[in-house]
Amino acid sequence: MRVATNSPTLNLETKYRREMWRKIRKDKWYYLLLLPGIIYFLVFRYGPMWGILIAFKNYMPFLGFWKSPWVGFQNFEDFFANPDFFKLLRNTLLISFYNLIFTFPAPIILALLLNEVKNALFKRTVQTLVYIPHFISMTIVVSLTYIFLTTQGGFVNNWLYEHTGRKIQFLTDPKWFRPLIIIQTIWKETGWGTIIFLATLTNINPSLYEAAIVDGAKRWQQMRYITLPCLMPTVIILLILRLGGILDTGFEQIYLMMNSLNREVADVFDTYVYTMGIARGAFSYSTAVGLFKSIVGIVLIQLSNLLARKVSDISLF
Amino acid sequence: MVLRGKKSNAIRESLGSRIFDAFNYVFLAFAGMLCILPFLYVIGGSFATEGELTTRSFFIIPRTFTLDAYKYIFSTSALANSFKNTLIITIGGTAINLFFTVSMAYALAKKDLIGRNAIINMVIFCMLFGGGMIPTYLLVRNLGMLDTYWALWLPGAISPFNLFIVRNFFEEFPGELRDSAEIDGCNVPQTLWYIVLPLSKAVLATFALFYGVGHWNAFMGPLLYLNDSKKWPIQIILRNLIIASSGTAGLGSLVDMPPDYQPPAQALKLAVIVVATVPILLVYPFLQRYFVKGVMIGSLKG
Amino acid sequence: MSLKPTTRLLMVLVCIMLFASAVLAGCSKDAVNQQPQSGETENKGEETQSGGSSDEPVQEEPFKLSIMTIFYPSDKAPEPAPEDSPVIQKLEEYTNTDLEILWTPSTNYEDKFNVTLASNDMPMVILAPGKTATVISACRNGVFWELGPYFEEYPNLSQFNPIVLNNISIDGKVYGLYRARDLGRNGIIYRHDWLQKVGMNELKTIDDFYTMLKKFTYEDPDGDGKDDTFGMVVHQSNYQFNVSALWFGAPNGWGENENGELVPAHLTPEYFEALKWWKKLYDEKLINEDFAALDPEKRYDFIINEQAGAEIQVCDDAGRLESRFKDAGKSVGTPNTAEDVDVRLGIVGAVEGPKGLRALPTSGYNLFYLVSKQSVKTEDELKRVLKFFDQLGDREMQDLLDRGIEGVHYELVDGKVKPIEGDQRLGAQLSGLNQLLLFVPRNNQTPRVDTEVRELQTKVIAENEKIVVGNPAEPLISEVYSQKGPQLDQIIEDARVQFIVGQIDEQGWKDAIEQWRKLGGDDYIKEINDLYKKAKANQ
Repeated sequence: MRVATNSPTLNLETKYRREMWRKIRKDKWYYLLLLPGIIYFLVFRYGPMWGILIAFKNYMPFLGFWKSPWVGFQNFEDFFANPDFFKLLRNTLLISFYNLIFTFPAPIILALLLNEVKNALFKRTVQTLVYIPHFISMTIVVSLTYIFLTTQGGFVNNWLYEHTGRKIQFLTDPKWFRPLIIIQTIWKETGWGTIIFLATLTNINPSLYEAAIVDGAKRWQQMRYITLPCLMPTVIILLILRLGGILDTGFEQIYLMMNSLNREVADVFDTYVYTMGIARGAFSYSTAVGLFKSIVGIVLIQLSNLLARKVSDISLF
Repeated sequence: MVLRGKKSNAIRESLGSRIFDAFNYVFLAFAGMLCILPFLYVIGGSFATEGELTTRSFFIIPRTFTLDAYKYIFSTSALANSFKNTLIITIGGTAINLFFTVSMAYALAKKDLIGRNAIINMVIFCMLFGGGMIPTYLLVRNLGMLDTYWALWLPGAISPFNLFIVRNFFEEFPGELRDSAEIDGCNVPQTLWYIVLPLSKAVLATFALFYGVGHWNAFMGPLLYLNDSKKWPIQIILRNLIIASSGTAGLGSLVDMPPDYQPPAQALKLAVIVVATVPILLVYPFLQRYFVKGVMIGSLKG
Repeated sequence: MSLKPTTRLLMVLVCIMLFASAVLAGCSKDAVNQQPQSGETENKGEETQSGGSSDEPVQEEPFKLSIMTIFYPSDKAPEPAPEDSPVIQKLEEYTNTDLEILWTPSTNYEDKFNVTLASNDMPMVILAPGKTATVISACRNGVFWELGPYFEEYPNLSQFNPIVLNNISIDGKVYGLYRARDLGRNGIIYRHDWLQKVGMNELKTIDDFYTMLKKFTYEDPDGDGKDDTFGMVVHQSNYQFNVSALWFGAPNGWGENENGELVPAHLTPEYFEALKWWKKLYDEKLINEDFAALDPEKRYDFIINEQAGAEIQVCDDAGRLESRFKDAGKSVGTPNTAEDVDVRLGIVGAVEGPKGLRALPTSGYNLFYLVSKQSVKTEDELKRVLKFFDQLGDREMQDLLDRGIEGVHYELVDGKVKPIEGDQRLGAQLSGLNQLLLFVPRNNQTPRVDTEVRELQTKVIAENEKIVVGNPAEPLISEVYSQKGPQLDQIIEDARVQFIVGQIDEQGWKDAIEQWRKLGGDDYIKEINDLYKKAKANQ
């Protein structure tokens, strides 16, 4: 591949290109490793991607994609013009926001606490115990919540009634909906979320601690200046990824906890789409809502990634 | 010797530090109890009689102890068979996941790889946008994977989320180690296999667990792709048991049932939960032995 | 650390092979997979054929029939009957078919239905998840056979109930083979022993019902000296309210006003009367306080634990309550049981209100089977499929699929079916198979040896059929509703609960109705009335 030319700029460009090819050849093994992944993404992720276009159609499964009529932005207009849109947006964002403040840091804190435990057996036992709730299905969690909190003989309310003479309508009072959702999520997912941080902690170089001890660092100082910074890359990556899903709320949990008296604060995009879908075969409609959620997500990921890169030098890409 | 250093420090532990320890132990013990209570109820209930389950709303130790539910589970071939299917799906699927994820993540961890950002963006796009249920189903069908476990293994071979985190781990991996291996004449896959992976057991264990649990609990995929009920994993049976007779299913309220319909026994439900959950619960304590601090660094020194 | 070049080469090859096998295996698997499938069925066909030919001299080849149906776990088994179940073999023999039953779990059934519809390789017969938008438009677009005109040729199928056929019709055409359910199933189940204890004799009118609930709450019907009971257990669905609204005279769904126009139930004054009655029940604490959050399944606990004394429910729930009471170690009877029992369950179909006895009917069916035009190509094939379903109406088949094989699953006692208790594995052979049954003709089954409670429930259900009130709008398919239905329903549903618990007053209820009208309710009323007139003119 010899391009003979007198032009210096062109020469530079060829030089650059040649340099690039040289580098690619040098890294050929890396590209080979990438290959299965790339083929996977092209086939299984991009292959069905035409499904996004369903949002602009009135898709009927038996007609197939091509025969279903185009409707342009009709589904989006329906969605945004819906009088409940802002209610849904507010509810979705609030639940996500509370999850971000309360349930996101919980596993980090738990991991730090576990990290301070010196007795290996105790540590392992606790790790295993807190990880169990992840495997209990939401249906059971909701059912247990009812058993504990019902005003009809639930023992929390029995206790309250004996001591204060009043009952609290935990299950139907809109004020209690979000706290209950958050508490359930913390209970169910904190232990599970800890695993990844515990794995990260195994990568910390012990000599860092040694040096710190020699310098007279106290325990909390070690945690503050060694453990936490080592967790940061993982935390930031998880946070960025989490922001991408800001409009996704756990459908099953909210659907099961929602009722006529708390719907005002409980109804979110996911439950709304489901309810709408019961009557109309709402493929197109739910695809449109999903597309909206994804666009918001990708914008947030890009922005937060940019921010993270500026502030901390750690980023997703 | 690292530990010894820490221990000598313990003598000088301040009062505050000891109070913290006490608080920490109590708190963690309490949290652990709180987490296991409902599961103890499930286990206790699976050994209880129907009468006790309908009359007591919450208990851990049944008054009358019976093995009926388990006797039934182990007497039918169907449940044992679905359990076997779950094992195949989980083990096969996790192996495929790890192969695809680790190889791609390792390559993406090389920061100066040309085209890296384009590929990462391609992955991020997939993380947020997807074709949806029907297009994916049609693809799987056109590839002829219906009614085979490939339909459960391949479409989710890489989770972008996990890919990024694994990549992050590899980025943290000391460059010197890799370099020295390559100087020794290893090519990239060899370095990955002989040097990097043995030192990343915690990471591998974590993601084997993440993927494995995903496969173990998978429900929608098997439901859509497996027509043959002999191939069903235990989750389908479990979910159906839990949800179908609770009032929450869209179809299946009592009005839909023939008049002499009797719902499945409560204890059986709970026993199926136990059988379907305990094996995967036991994986974690087993994997914990890979969560040892400082492995990598130690080998670097040695 | 160096590796031999051959090792290196080997590693590369392994990597590539692993990957290639992962990707290509799907394709090769396909080719391999399709073949044995058809091979398998062929083999089975031969077996059945050879088996059958010894019985009959002229034997048609067994008809290959694939059916996708729903599976509910039951007390019989948590999984569907296996392919080699003797019950299925008997069924195949009787109908001379080679069946492929595609069981689909009831959870997410609709998703599975939709992908099956999209994939264009439909089974010959598929159970539709109700009259959903997808089903309606698929029928309109000719995806499924119109079956209505064929029914008269078949002895059993010709006995489909015309009212129910009208209910499942789409634009006046019948596409489905519906699975019949009793119309008169809704009613009240109550503790008759409690009723007597608080000094009452019978439950006849709405006022009786109210007095009973009040006494159940305040007059210690269980006689333990503690204030630990309440009248009726109520759950979060609107079903119980809807049943009661009819007693007060509200129409079932839609009713004609004096001008002959259809009006939705919630706009009628009778409906509001019912609403005020419920509010009274709530205010006086005759029903469970947080009913809005009660999962319907949990209602049993309140009754079994002797906290609540009544429920509005399908009458056959009495049988389920009975077996749960028995599990809890109590003997159960009816008001007429001679011996002394712990619990007496009373069942009534309805209580009398200003317009007499009125009961809310069920739709009369639960889901229906559709026949795919793509998989059943010719009319002859269609007739063969219909013949299969016609045969399922025979007494032998209704008995077989619902009760099993005589001598294995049940025995005959005085000409009645008595299930053989024992090995649950036998139950598994039967599990789910009654989902295939249409139960048409009705009551074409050998009677069962029943408990008194079950006999009573059967009797009440049969009598109830005489007082049910139909919904004139049931067969009408509204565009407005298909667009906005769930939203409209939710407005009324939420306002109803809020009114009962006192979060909104009468003005608030009116506001909600106003909102309903504006959001599309008025258009909905207009459209339904247009459709109604058209349908009437066609008759």
